[in-house]
Amino acid sequence: MSFSLECKKVKRTGFTPAFLCGGFLAAIVPVLNMAVRSENYLGLHASSVQILMDANWQMMAMLNILLTVAGACLMYHTEYADNAIQRMCTLPLKESKLFFGKVTLMALMCIVILVIEGASIALCSYHWFGLSREVWVEVMKNFGYALLLMLPTAFGSLFIASACKNMWVSLGIGVVCVFTATMLPTKNFILSLFPFALPFQIFAGTAESIVRNFMIAAVVEIFIIGIAEVLFLKGRRLFE
Amino acid sequence: MSFLSLIGIEAGKIRRSKILLILAVATVILWIPSILNADMNFGMQAEGISPENNFLIQGFMGMAWFMFPASMVVSTVLLNMTERSNKGILKMLSLPVNTAELCLAKFVVLLALAAFQILMTVLMYFVSAGIVSQTQDYDFILQPLFVFKEAGLIFVSAIPMLAFFWLLSVCIQTPIFSIGLGLASIVPSVLMINTKIWFVYPMAYPFFVITAEYGKLASNLTTAQLEFIPWLPVAAFITIICLFISCLRFGQAERR
Repeated sequence: MSFSLECKKVKRTGFTPAFLCGGFLAAIVPVLNMAVRSENYLGLHASSVQILMDANWQMMAMLNILLTVAGACLMYHTEYADNAIQRMCTLPLKESKLFFGKVTLMALMCIVILVIEGASIALCSYHWFGLSREVWVEVMKNFGYALLLMLPTAFGSLFIASACKNMWVSLGIGVVCVFTATMLPTKNFILSLFPFALPFQIFAGTAESIVRNFMIAAVVEIFIIGIAEVLFLKGRRLFE
Repeated sequence: MSFLSLIGIEAGKIRRSKILLILAVATVILWIPSILNADMNFGMQAEGISPENNFLIQGFMGMAWFMFPASMVVSTVLLNMTERSNKGILKMLSLPVNTAELCLAKFVVLLALAAFQILMTVLMYFVSAGIVSQTQDYDFILQPLFVFKEAGLIFVSAIPMLAFFWLLSVCIQTPIFSIGLGLASIVPSVLMINTKIWFVYPMAYPFFVITAEYGKLASNLTTAQLEFIPWLPVAAFITIICLFISCLRFGQAERR
């Protein structure tokens, strides 16, 4: 029930169109990059997907993260504006269920934008590198990995948004976190575990053991943030 | 009501918003990696830039490309949200105050927030340069006049960008679109500064200016330099148009 309720809440806020636009915007990045300077990439010795991801993923991931942060702020803004959250708290419903409903919707939107971006990468590799059968499998692997690593960001930004009553505070903290993430070196494993830095990782061309470590880390982070949120909401309720 | 007292009122409205804290925290985070990686400043012989100049410019580049524009998007959200939540704007519109003046007063507050963040960056620069001078045994502290000149350049070149962000937040009622557009417009500025038409893209100005300064300070590096002729008229045009439209549109949705 909570999930369908969340869908209804974001109906007139421009949430879905914003994600679709953001997804298409990020999808244009590799197309434009290839259209303008394909000669830089065509001669490289690597799989087409890896070349495309290396060239464009930083920017695409950045757009995805910013979109997630803005979306999370908006989702909780609809609750806090005009004190709608007080009504939600009086319902026979756990407050954490609200959070997980929002997370589900956010994860769904992440899938949507990643599918759009994946299609664009596949299209680019078809147009400029020639299509082979393996491309689809590789694109799917890459974007499945990207989805898993994006979930901690979604959890983290929703956690921040749920903690702050004012939209600019949550957006401000989110922006500071994104900024911190852009300064962390992606090659350093420990520093890359920062939830907002994870989406910058690329599957293609990474050793299997590192990929596994990142996947485990992402799952652990999701659990930690989920538990922290539940505890936080319980604690806040006590003091309200 | 005089314009100055209007600005005072607008500044008073955001007094308890904690925005200054957020802006300050961002500047602190900006300099931490520079302090930790201070020894890398000595390996810049290829570029031909002195360690102390490199320390300053790298920090300022980090600020101008993402942190500063993104913080300003947050500030525009703040300025608009304080007014729109609980319908405060209705009360403001019912007063015998010119709405254009109200809009401009808010823009001046936005400029003040931008100036505050840049000043905080400069302050943190001196603190971190002092720390690094101690740890690296090398004098990293530059002439204050030079540092303020660079910071001032960033501020002045950011005014068209601020006007554009202000236009976005005034004209687009749905918050996610104004925020999303603002944040998304920052990302391509890295690409835009390498093109010939960088001057039509206000979000790239601060980053372009600081990259040009980098090219000046590094003897072996040639970056595109500022050419005032197409830039200044275009920048002035963008600023005036953005401010004009936002003054026209301010409060229009509520006045219907």
